[in-house]
Amino acid sequence: MSKDTKDNVCNEEVYSQLFRANSKTVFNYIYYKFGNEEKAYDAVQEAFARLWENCSKVAPAKAKAYVYTIANNLYLNVLKAEKVRLKYADRVKTTEHVTPEYVMEENEFKKKLDTALDGLPENQRTTFLLNRIDGKKYAEIAAMEGVSVKAIEKRMHLALKSLREQIDGI
Amino acid sequence: MQENYLAKWLNNELSEEELAAFKKSDEYASYQRIIATSDTLEAPDFDIENALEALRNKQSLDSTKVIRLKPFRRFLKVAAAVVVIMIGSYFYLNTLEETYTTQYTQNEEITLPDASKIILNADSEISFSAKKWDKKRKVTLNGEAFFKVAKGKKFTVDTDQGKVAVLGTQFNVENREGIFEVTCFEGLVSVTYKDKETKLPAGSSFMVIDGKIVPAEKPNTSMPSWINEESTFNSIPLKYVFDEFQRQHDITVQTQNIDLNKLFTGTFSNTDINLALQSISVPSQLKYTLEGNKVLFYAESVP
Repeated sequence: MSKDTKDNVCNEEVYSQLFRANSKTVFNYIYYKFGNEEKAYDAVQEAFARLWENCSKVAPAKAKAYVYTIANNLYLNVLKAEKVRLKYADRVKTTEHVTPEYVMEENEFKKKLDTALDGLPENQRTTFLLNRIDGKKYAEIAAMEGVSVKAIEKRMHLALKSLREQIDGI
Repeated sequence: MQENYLAKWLNNELSEEELAAFKKSDEYASYQRIIATSDTLEAPDFDIENALEALRNKQSLDSTKVIRLKPFRRFLKVAAAVVVIMIGSYFYLNTLEETYTTQYTQNEEITLPDASKIILNADSEISFSAKKWDKKRKVTLNGEAFFKVAKGKKFTVDTDQGKVAVLGTQFNVENREGIFEVTCFEGLVSVTYKDKETKLPAGSSFMVIDGKIVPAEKPNTSMPSWINEESTFNSIPLKYVFDEFQRQHDITVQTQNIDLNKLFTGTFSNTDINLALQSISVPSQLKYTLEGNKVLFYAESVP
């Protein structure tokens, strides 16, 4: 029996573990897609609430894919993408010889990148940010989005290409 | 440069040559800077523990509120019953045998799943399981039938009087009231009668009349005569000849002052009733009167 419950999403411990491991990514995933923090937070709540309701029917191994699907479907046709306002980490190189010009130039570049990211198609932006910020492998993103790894590579390639074109003003 | 090389580059999947070429390109510096800057980006704060706490509170509220109705319960019960019945009948039907029956005057040719053939004489019944034929070649016979068995595993004919087993051959089995006769026309047939096995080579017969094994005349044909619409008898009691006559001509035989155990040797036609009546009556020195669906045989010289 103990093995059974350990293997079951209905087990409080298993469930909490799944939440701690995946909720942040679900949040980010929805945020990158639609650019709305509040909706991203709601998506996490909704997806995991549904997981709990159906805990007996969802195997722990499938739980991850399950919550991504729920979260994604939640706003599928309802929500239009808003502007993504990403924060920047404070750990910007605090090297000694930083000139004011350098800082200004750096900030300028970040603004450009920000604008360029806003302009990306939703699926390219989501893929790019999941990879760069959350460190998700292409295969993981493919599983979340329900597409092939090759499709994710394509999105990644196109995302980076148009970011550069946008920033370099081509 | 390969397809999606920017994605490959981020994943360190470019070959050294490709990487060198990419590094020399004008855009390389820009790409590098975009990636370097992207990697300092952060998503909005998300407090996992807070979110989990909020979720738990919501769940405990929900669980006290929600009364679950199960409208599907009844449906599920019915569905389960239907499934059980379907599975049950599947297995039942699987074990069910196929049965072929012939009426009086009728012959029927049956082809078995392995292309073995059975020709069923009048008023006979044969059954076998087609589904299990690959595993077990076995038929149950009541009446008379001629078998052309395709070579293969043991082929068994089960009758209430005895068992006949072969590998691949042609033979005739007659399992009628009072008579059990097996005639082998080709190959080798094994007959088990009262737990005793008899090997029957081609061109020989095994005959039991009224429970007694009797020496049988060797067949001089390659198939039983009834296949050619004649019934042949070799020292067979008259009563069994009359039985066969009734089966072949769908007629009721009545007798008067006749010793039914008198042996008869001869052949009668299964198609021409008048010819058949003469074939029986003349050598047996009997007379007969045919009236509609009845025939009366009586002794020629009534005292």
